[in-house]
Amino acid sequence: MSAEEDNGVTVTPPERLAIGIAFGNSNSSIAHTGSDGKPVVIANEEGDRQIPSVLSYIEGEEFHGNQAKTQLIRNSKNTVAYFRDYIGKSFDSIDPSASHASAHPQKHDKTVAFSIHDTSSESPNTVTVQEIASRHLKRLISSASDFLGQSVNAVVITVPTNFSEDQKKELEAAARDAKVELLQFIPEPIAAALAYDARPETEVRDKIIVVADLGGTRSDVTVLASRGGMYSILATSHDYEFAGQNLDQVLIDHFAKEFIKKNKSDPRENPRGLAKLKHESEATKKALSLGTNATISIESLSEGIDFSSTVNRIRYETLANKVFGGITRLIEDTVKKAELDLLDVDEVILSGGTSHTPKIASNIATIFSQTTRVLAPSTLATAINPSELTARGAAIQASLVQEFDVDDIVQSAHPMVTVAPHLHNAIGVLLLSGDASRGIFRPVLDPETPVPAKRTVTFATPREGGDVLIKICEGIRDIKVTKPEPKPKTNGATVKDADEDDSDMSDSDEEEEEEDLRERAWKVGTELAEVAIKGVKKGGKVEITLNVNAELGLQVVAREVGSKTGVRGVVEKPEH
Amino acid sequence: PVLPQGWTAEKDFKPLGKISKPIQRSIEPVGPHFLAHARRKRHHRTFSEDERI
Repeated sequence: MSAEEDNGVTVTPPERLAIGIAFGNSNSSIAHTGSDGKPVVIANEEGDRQIPSVLSYIEGEEFHGNQAKTQLIRNSKNTVAYFRDYIGKSFDSIDPSASHASAHPQKHDKTVAFSIHDTSSESPNTVTVQEIASRHLKRLISSASDFLGQSVNAVVITVPTNFSEDQKKELEAAARDAKVELLQFIPEPIAAALAYDARPETEVRDKIIVVADLGGTRSDVTVLASRGGMYSILATSHDYEFAGQNLDQVLIDHFAKEFIKKNKSDPRENPRGLAKLKHESEATKKALSLGTNATISIESLSEGIDFSSTVNRIRYETLANKVFGGITRLIEDTVKKAELDLLDVDEVILSGGTSHTPKIASNIATIFSQTTRVLAPSTLATAINPSELTARGAAIQASLVQEFDVDDIVQSAHPMVTVAPHLHNAIGVLLLSGDASRGIFRPVLDPETPVPAKRTVTFATPREGGDVLIKICEGIRDIKVTKPEPKPKTNGATVKDADEDDSDMSDSDEEEEEEDLRERAWKVGTELAEVAIKGVKKGGKVEITLNVNAELGLQVVAREVGSKTGVRGVVEKPEH
Repeated sequence: PVLPQGWTAEKDFKPLGKISKPIQRSIEPVGPHFLAHARRKRHHRTFSEDERI
């Protein structure tokens, strides 16, 4: 990216080293893009790439990540976890249930704070969530600096799409306290999409993407239009009931019942027993994503009794079926919210730790058409580790804006730049038929494409060549419903009246939907222009370029491939 | 389709309709293609002007 055209004035910012941070409620990760342009997720000193967003204090010493997470069992009151979603919120607006087994959030002025023994003194301190976030960021940054051998001084942080301006402000302040420059916040689903699209083998293609970010305490689903490599969000959903911790709970309950059967006491009734069970159930869940069998074994789970057991994947999938179903429904609902059909979706990106679950990916794959690509490790061999997607996306963005002035970044993200008219209908070419009501529509510019936009496509002409008429029209998204063809050799099965099939442009057969074949189709809308190209060679091809300007004027250039002259014309901008 | 007999238009181009009303949405300020878009928009350049640089 060229940042050197700043009105000739070259402001040299101090040398920056920027990383991407995926800051989650449950886990965080850090990533850097090296000189080869490939993002790499950095492991901390303990070797973890998924670093639990947990801080714990013992006699004034600070523990972070997995070390802090294990303190949830013995030292839960001085351990702070699941605090990301409390940032920039008032105490009354938070749901503190995730923090039940750790230090409890408290009301403190307009914000949330924790009362913890974070020094060796006898009395506890009140530490605001902003301060906790800052300490967490400091630890992440120092891990990255140690790994890179240079101090990191700038970051791009991913946030959920429903993170408010207040939350961003407070997180920005936390970053400032951690002594790093915050270059930009980017939405988590966009980071995930960028992580895939920035791979050198990915071609820029117009597509509708669903990003299902399945985390520990929440699941977020986002529908995006990707047009010319740019992303526009069409719909979002946030859910706090069908996420990783609900799957942990399924295993906790399963193992607890087994324990009760043998020992007549419920390990969930004492906090330490529950904390142990939760910790190990999560590990068992992860093992079930990789293997078909997993064991759990806990020393002194309750009343001094050890517990060990095994569970296989099928059993787990049966128990967790309700949660899996909730995730699938959440995706269906979000696509509907975007006023799209499941058939309109080209790609589903599974992101977040819970996306490792094979059954979730296969359930999701079944609701979409076979042409929809489901990007998850169990459905696609070349899929990126879902736990790493957002950090990688943030690292890519960090490397892109690293050289920019912060003012430049801020101005580029300004609504003056980002808000643009998006095409309501597709614009394309009508093929085969001379009658505008029939014929086949081929989109050149898809709906939801932001303008200005320009696309070029090549079409085959009628085989005999000669003079060709090109019709440019709008296309409206439609679903074509076809009754399945009656099999000719079935014995005695009612052969449906063949004439019925002709009514397939009307979508009136709702009640028989399951049997019907549904496919994407285009209805022809307003005709925009006609272009004649004369004397096309036999078997010749025609190249058409459509250029829509910011005011929605359309410029058409059509020429035969290989010829120098072509036809140019302009459709004036509309008045509205 | 084949050009029907007697079809004529000035310079072989006949404008017929207008693009229908668009939807105002926000593009996410992320990724290399957005940064190129932002650069064009801020400097009021068109695609071809941008390509020439």
